[in-house]
Amino acid sequence: MTIDTKTFSHFLEQVASEIDIPPGKYQQAVERYQGVGRWLEEGTYPECTGDLSIYPQGSFRLGTVVKPIRDGVEASYDIDLVCELPLQKSRTTPQSVKSMVGSRLRENGTYAKLLDPEGRRCWTLEYAEQEGVGFHMDVLPAIPDPRGLLDTAIAITDKSESNYSWSASNPRGYGEWFDGKNQAAFSLAVTEQKQRIQRNESLIFASVDEVPDQLVRTPLQRAIQLMKRHRDLHFNDHASNGYAPISIIITTLAAHLYENELDVYSALSGIVNKLRAHAALVEGRSIDHSLATRGLIQRRTDGTWYIGNPVGPDENFADRWHEDNHARARAFFQWAEALQQDVLHVLNMEDPRVLKEHLSRTLGASAVTKHLGLIAPPSQPQDVPRIHIAEPAKPWRDW
Amino acid sequence: MEGLVRRELQSQIDELRKKHSGLAVISETDTEVIVAGKLPFEASADGLETITGSFDVEIRIPTDYPEQLPQAKEIGNQIDSNYEHRYPDGTLCLAVPIEERRVFAQQPTLLGFFDRLVIPYLYGYSFWKKHGYHPFDEAEHGYEGILRHYMDSLQLKDEVAALRVICFLFEYGYRGHHDCPCGSGRRVRVCHGQRLRALHDYHTTQTRQMDFVAILNNCLKKIDDGSLQIPDALRIQILRILGKCKS
Repeated sequence: MTIDTKTFSHFLEQVASEIDIPPGKYQQAVERYQGVGRWLEEGTYPECTGDLSIYPQGSFRLGTVVKPIRDGVEASYDIDLVCELPLQKSRTTPQSVKSMVGSRLRENGTYAKLLDPEGRRCWTLEYAEQEGVGFHMDVLPAIPDPRGLLDTAIAITDKSESNYSWSASNPRGYGEWFDGKNQAAFSLAVTEQKQRIQRNESLIFASVDEVPDQLVRTPLQRAIQLMKRHRDLHFNDHASNGYAPISIIITTLAAHLYENELDVYSALSGIVNKLRAHAALVEGRSIDHSLATRGLIQRRTDGTWYIGNPVGPDENFADRWHEDNHARARAFFQWAEALQQDVLHVLNMEDPRVLKEHLSRTLGASAVTKHLGLIAPPSQPQDVPRIHIAEPAKPWRDW
Repeated sequence: MEGLVRRELQSQIDELRKKHSGLAVISETDTEVIVAGKLPFEASADGLETITGSFDVEIRIPTDYPEQLPQAKEIGNQIDSNYEHRYPDGTLCLAVPIEERRVFAQQPTLLGFFDRLVIPYLYGYSFWKKHGYHPFDEAEHGYEGILRHYMDSLQLKDEVAALRVICFLFEYGYRGHHDCPCGSGRRVRVCHGQRLRALHDYHTTQTRQMDFVAILNNCLKKIDDGSLQIPDALRIQILRILGKCKS
């Protein structure tokens, strides 16, 4: 049995929206982080003249949120919030910046109770919600650190033992880069998607204008969501857990490799195929010339790996790939191969039951089961469709 | 935008055909897409017998779907020509427009249209044919049916209340803090808030205007013969709305 790609793409789209954050939950997350933002903005910080700048980064900013699975169970959503204080690097220290934000948070009785012990880079607030899954909010203290053309760049704090140092980041710049890669697909999708969201969630959004851009999902964003979910399940066992590809790598490579394909299936298969085409690098062999020139994944002469931050090439996302005999590099390409088999090759599976079981295992049973009907018709010979009638309309006549 | 809407329509058609494989796209023009074929089903409803049937049907999907819902026809000459809820040309009168939208909103896809509107209609016809009465009741014909729908679903005391409700929906949409147009004296949000909200969501410009005309028409007869009084404020509101209506 071969499924046509259009149907399968629709199925993937549905699964992706199951693992996405529901609009109501998204609004709740926005309310939470805006609350934290307001509290931080109203604080006084020594030496600070001017306003704080507080904004989301990571999957909330990029529109690639997936329901996290840890140890096979749904865990809290991760919200990453940057808190930029208007200080000059020369006039402050990382320890000072970190502790100012921590102190301010602790000043609020509610937040003090939600606060985790100090993290390496951020302060974490744990929100347990009454309805459904909670939020895990990382507040990242930072100061502006413009470098040349990177005027959105920031300096963040890094704590190792009791030593604090500066580290570089540019989440706003990255967000803008990603938006650029996503722009064409976004423009095509925005109107229709916002209308659909408003129709389905009319109690939350009274009009199409109220639907935020962050809820629109292009095939690129859907592909990234599916890749992240597949990664979560693939690396679920503890042995290989530590070597799972980090989300920034998945997101960056996917965005580079996306060629404005119009449906999820084409986008995903284009990306996965090009990732797999880099696998020869693990054995030190050369890859296709056009991919090599793009330099998205590089193997250096000393054997180490390089995946550059597109808005800050000094930063190497693959700086740990060579450790433990290239464990992370191997894990990455094995995972790309698994993606191909589990999600793309399933189109050619003969037995519908094997297909169902396979997809459930690799993308999550709860997300998949609901939509299996789209691709796997009932295994008995075509039964008469059964309908149960509830709350029917009364027939009418207009004359 | 045309292309993307067509893709979404295609997904809905694919979803429909996965369940009802006897249907297929018959033709596509600039103004509509026609899906037709055999529709066998086995339908059950709480407290009623299960009915198995099969009809030859056709639906015409307009380009502005889902702003406008498809027209459904039975094309196999199986439905009695004297069956009341059917136009001479075979088009099925599935429901009062606002109720059609309410039901469609529960599952706003072509599959939803078939499973929640077309098949229940055909079930209703089969049941009526067998037992002589409608399992789900029938709406009164014409404008009366529309008026009754408002009065029953909002439990309004008279037609004036229905008129106030439709005028409210027309002019304000949904306003939680306004006085409820049912005349209770309470605010919308603690009175008919939920139902008014739902009506507001389900209405399209077309259905709202039609319902306004229907309810007004019903009331005019009674106003003429003196059996119904409407307050001045409402009279002024009606004139205002008439000014906004397209003919």
